[in-house]
Amino acid sequence: MILLRLISWPYARKHLLRVVLTMAGIVLGVAVFVGMHTANQSVLAAFHQTIDRIAGSTQIQVSSGEAGFEEDVLERVRALPEVKAAAPVIEAAANTGQGNLLILGVDMLGDRSLRNYDLEGTDDAIDDPLVFLAQADSIIITKPFAEQRNLAIGAKIPMRTMQGDQVFTVRGIMKPGGLASAFGGSLAIMDIYAAQKVFGRGFKFDRVDIALEDGVSIDTAITKIQALLGPGFQVEPPSSRGQQFEATSSIYALASNLTSVFALFIGMFIIYNTFAIAVSERRSEIGILRALGATRGQIRTLFLTESAVSGLIGTLLGVLFGIALARGMAGYIGGLLSEVYGVAQGASEVNPEPWLLAAAVVMGLATSLIAAVLPARSAAAVDPVKALQKGRQQSLSDGENRTRRRWALACAVASVIAFLFSNVGWLFYGGYMLAILTAVLLSPAMSLWFAKALRPILAFVRPVEGTLAADSLIQSPRRTSGTITALMLSLALVISLGGLARASYDSLNDWMKIALNPDLFVTTAESVTARSFVFPASLGEGLRSVPGVAEVQFVRSVRLPIKGTPIMVVALDIASLERHAKLPAVEGDESTMYREVAAGKGVIASENFARLHGARFGEVLQIAGPAETLHLPIIGIVRDFSDQQGSIVMDRATYIRAFHDDSVNVYRLYLSPGAEEAKVRQTILDTYGHTQRLFVLTNKDVRDFVNRLTDQWFGLTYVQIAVAVLVAILGIVNALTVSITDRRRELGVLQAVGGLRNQIRHTIWMEAVAIGIIGLGLGLVLGAVQLYYSVEVARRDLIGVEIGYAFPFQMVFIMAPIILGAAFVAALGPAESAVRGSLVEALEYE
Amino acid sequence: MSKLAISLLFAVTAATTLAQDPRQIIAEVQKRQNSASQRYEGTLEVIGGGNRVATKSWTYLRLGSFGDSKARLEFTAPADVKGVGMLIVNHADRASDQWMWRPNIGRDQRISLQDRSTRFFGTDFSFEDLEERDVEQYDFKLLADEGAMWKIESRPRKKSQYTYSYFWIKKDNYTFQKVESYDAKGLVRVVDYKDYAQVKSIWTARTTEVYDMRRNSRTILKYDKLDYNLPIKEEQFTLQALRRGL
Amino acid sequence: MISLRGVSKTFDGKRKVTALDHIDLTIAKGEMASIVGPSGSGKSTMLNLIGGLDRATEGEVELDGQTLSSLNDDELTRVRRDKIGFIFQFFNLLPTLSCLQNVSLPLHLRGWPRKKVEDRAKELLDLVKLGARIDHLPDELSGGERQRVAIARALSIYPPILLADEPTGNLDTSTGAEILKLIHDLHSRLGATVLIVTHDKAVAESCPRTIHIRDGKVFEDVRR
Repeated sequence: MILLRLISWPYARKHLLRVVLTMAGIVLGVAVFVGMHTANQSVLAAFHQTIDRIAGSTQIQVSSGEAGFEEDVLERVRALPEVKAAAPVIEAAANTGQGNLLILGVDMLGDRSLRNYDLEGTDDAIDDPLVFLAQADSIIITKPFAEQRNLAIGAKIPMRTMQGDQVFTVRGIMKPGGLASAFGGSLAIMDIYAAQKVFGRGFKFDRVDIALEDGVSIDTAITKIQALLGPGFQVEPPSSRGQQFEATSSIYALASNLTSVFALFIGMFIIYNTFAIAVSERRSEIGILRALGATRGQIRTLFLTESAVSGLIGTLLGVLFGIALARGMAGYIGGLLSEVYGVAQGASEVNPEPWLLAAAVVMGLATSLIAAVLPARSAAAVDPVKALQKGRQQSLSDGENRTRRRWALACAVASVIAFLFSNVGWLFYGGYMLAILTAVLLSPAMSLWFAKALRPILAFVRPVEGTLAADSLIQSPRRTSGTITALMLSLALVISLGGLARASYDSLNDWMKIALNPDLFVTTAESVTARSFVFPASLGEGLRSVPGVAEVQFVRSVRLPIKGTPIMVVALDIASLERHAKLPAVEGDESTMYREVAAGKGVIASENFARLHGARFGEVLQIAGPAETLHLPIIGIVRDFSDQQGSIVMDRATYIRAFHDDSVNVYRLYLSPGAEEAKVRQTILDTYGHTQRLFVLTNKDVRDFVNRLTDQWFGLTYVQIAVAVLVAILGIVNALTVSITDRRRELGVLQAVGGLRNQIRHTIWMEAVAIGIIGLGLGLVLGAVQLYYSVEVARRDLIGVEIGYAFPFQMVFIMAPIILGAAFVAALGPAESAVRGSLVEALEYE
Repeated sequence: MSKLAISLLFAVTAATTLAQDPRQIIAEVQKRQNSASQRYEGTLEVIGGGNRVATKSWTYLRLGSFGDSKARLEFTAPADVKGVGMLIVNHADRASDQWMWRPNIGRDQRISLQDRSTRFFGTDFSFEDLEERDVEQYDFKLLADEGAMWKIESRPRKKSQYTYSYFWIKKDNYTFQKVESYDAKGLVRVVDYKDYAQVKSIWTARTTEVYDMRRNSRTILKYDKLDYNLPIKEEQFTLQALRRGL
Repeated sequence: MISLRGVSKTFDGKRKVTALDHIDLTIAKGEMASIVGPSGSGKSTMLNLIGGLDRATEGEVELDGQTLSSLNDDELTRVRRDKIGFIFQFFNLLPTLSCLQNVSLPLHLRGWPRKKVEDRAKELLDLVKLGARIDHLPDELSGGERQRVAIARALSIYPPILLADEPTGNLDTSTGAEILKLIHDLHSRLGATVLIVTHDKAVAESCPRTIHIRDGKVFEDVRR
């Protein structure tokens, strides 16, 4: 298109800074979208690769949640004619003296028919397989791990095991590639029977990996094995192991999608703003084009094409930036995996998938085009005769304002109606969108009103500069309303995210006060959530006899498939729970429900489990163990933050019956009155610490840990806030840059009639700060609304918990100076360019 | 003896007289080395293939004749494998049951059928090679009369890691001289029987060498203090006895 | 007194353009002169240099003995503020301000108290016969009225020098004549030095002195 080259390009080149700033919204929106999803996908892909590598030629895996199962399952599976090879596995993470390792406990005799241990130096698995098997301290590590830590055959790796401190001996080093690349090499192989002891598994396996005879279909085999073992076992291809991580990461993806949408939305207003100004600025140019015979359609197409091109360039930059962002975020998300698997998953390749790029282009283009529709239309409407007359201004028509207000009113009414029926999902989200739309449509009128209100104040502070600044805002709503809208949206986002975080912390604290009230926690790891190691039940009896210990709760928490998702099931002595840590019921009868759960007549579900997995009060859940399939109704719903995906509390005796598993993850200890916490802790460590792996955490340790986890989860929120603020600041810089160009002549006159440079500067600064104040004001109002909806979104789809509405005043105190400061800083550059330019040119500027 | 079996390795082979039908030849081999029990002390050495497998010693006990014999072996050296034991209960009609005992882990472990083709602790033979083979489970064909030796082809009727094997049997004393085992891809293992001597009138190889063609590695097994028909008790061949050790 | 000594102004673009070429010129205090010449002859450039809106490339511009080239930007602004009134072809009124506010602007910028500013502005608007329209916005006025507001603004501090760049260029003939008359009146009443850049022969000839500029040089200097 020749017009684009002749008309648009010179203009863009002249206003390069502005063009770049305008694209910032799209760049950031696309970057966050591409970055987050790429990071997510890359880590997930890497994780799937890890799963594949660990799986080897395994076609089917048999497990029983995380509860494990008895060894005889192996022989039963092996006896099937469809099964070519079956090998038991224990998979657990351990913090060794040499860093975190995912330890694969395997049967070295049979495992090689499933996995290829490509070993250093020899083509054989281990230097001497018999020695490896004969010695319980044998371990195989990977070449990358060995090289990083300078370990060789015969090197010693200390580990705290359930049988006390042990030193393992490296008896094999796997060549890089294949299995050795899983988890970036942080993987070690151990004999399965040794691993049973290390991790306190008793005579149980975590998993059986199966390879099938040639010609046997996986589906057939799954059906057959499932029928053989019963519903207490999960019989699945290895690939389904990504499930839990996918569930976790999908929450992050949803949250980041919201940020992208917001960034793009904000970007849309910045683009609208710039284009609206560009149209008024280029009015004479448009007039000339029209006079030379360009049709209205051609003018419209010209502007839309300009916006499409800049949208495309913005998208491109966004994608590049997003890939860079993804590299950073991949580490963060990989870290999340370590919460789930104990070992961090790095992503070796961080590349966006084609569909993601396509989606980014569509998003960037759409945003850019939608933003340009109105300005393009008003460009097409330019009257060539008027446009060619110098010195005449065309202002925002009253008609446009009226239409806008009418639409705003319609949206407001519709959003209120939707609000009244917001128990319907799509109506709720629809109402949410409408509420935002109302605010957006009203924002020019509101800014005008605000500016008028500010005028006397500004005039009081600085009679000339203040008046000029306020008048500039009042007279040219087109110039600033887009920016103010963008600022308003950013702030609303910040307020809602901040409020959400604040309220979450508060709810979490409320919960912790009750649920995490034991004095001491005896755990197998430094964190309360690690589940690699388990205690024998016998330890609990010993703990009971420690002087000063009044009560011991045996807590077993395992992830089990419930309603198709791995859900945290917490089995413990319910009577004791009721005595000490009775959470208020959201649904159900508090006075009876604990008793009934204790009697094995039902379970207590967490609020987020019910919300996120569509479970109702009274619904009967199937919890299938290897020994028995339980059908237990939900007889109580409580607010519990034990797990992001929700949790189920059941009676320990019932659990043991169904799972034949009496192991314990955590002993929760209540001390007798007057007992000294430190002393009891020391006694426990002295008595049991050297014979087995054991940590004694105080109440404060545990709370700090939970708070750290929460901080990590909200880490992403802060990134979102940063993006929102950044976009808003860029918006202000953009608006002012544009405003200065737009007003060069006016500013020139001011200087010609004797305005000192400082006076010009002050005018611009005040205008900027006024934009900040107005945006802040509107943002706070919209933020209050947005927070309400965010709390609802969180309740419905993110965390499933009613966290309560608490306006984050603290956030306001932080944000107000940031925004005003940013507005001021944003004004510095434009103000300087206003006083530096040639006066003569400015006066002739048109 | 209707059910005949051959054991290629730990049960050391002996020799007998002449026959022409390949199955009869094999039967004669079995008959000539028939004994009620056997005991020896063996050593094995792995050479080549980049191995760092230490030379090992063990004690071997067998009770009963082919087809329903029971055998035990226990490693005696080096120190880091001392005490690891195996119990093999052969069945005439099916694959043997094998268990391993590891004193350091404190567990006995059944060696599954699927694992029998795996190499025996880094040597050049597999767990399957430890089994006694029921003659009825194989088809034999006399391939050639090479003067002093017969060359006999043996094809397993049941599942095996090998598709077929060639036996070379010396005519004068009915002893195995060499076995070549093949799978679908070709030659896998070669076993040479050497140093024949008569022990209690049974021709017995004092050395066997197993070549793994794929890995270009060989394992030499030597048998000392070899004796037949000793008073060995049945109770020695249980899992409990395995745990106690020899 | 305005004096130009060897003043040149060149514009550096792809091609170097010489707008003024070593001009020597003296205009006495209280004199009223017109500057004429074809488009691009450099007449507006000369006015801009005298008014301190632009700086000479070479030579000296002196206002009442003060050399402009030695001043920094703010000092130059102070000279403008204290000594010079500008009248532009396109009026250059701020569209957002009323007549009164437009006229008040330079006084506010000098930091005058509000009351004094208002009195002076009203006085000036009376002087240009717009006393009745002080609260109107520029958009609501005719071209001649706008130029009168601009003149009132230019006079707001009673500057000793009044510079007008095509003051009638954007007006019809009769309005132009009216404005010209106003400028003459003010000149005689206030005794300021007046320089008018114009195309209009009638305007030029109404002044006692006419300076013809061509190709950046003084081509003819006529005193009547």
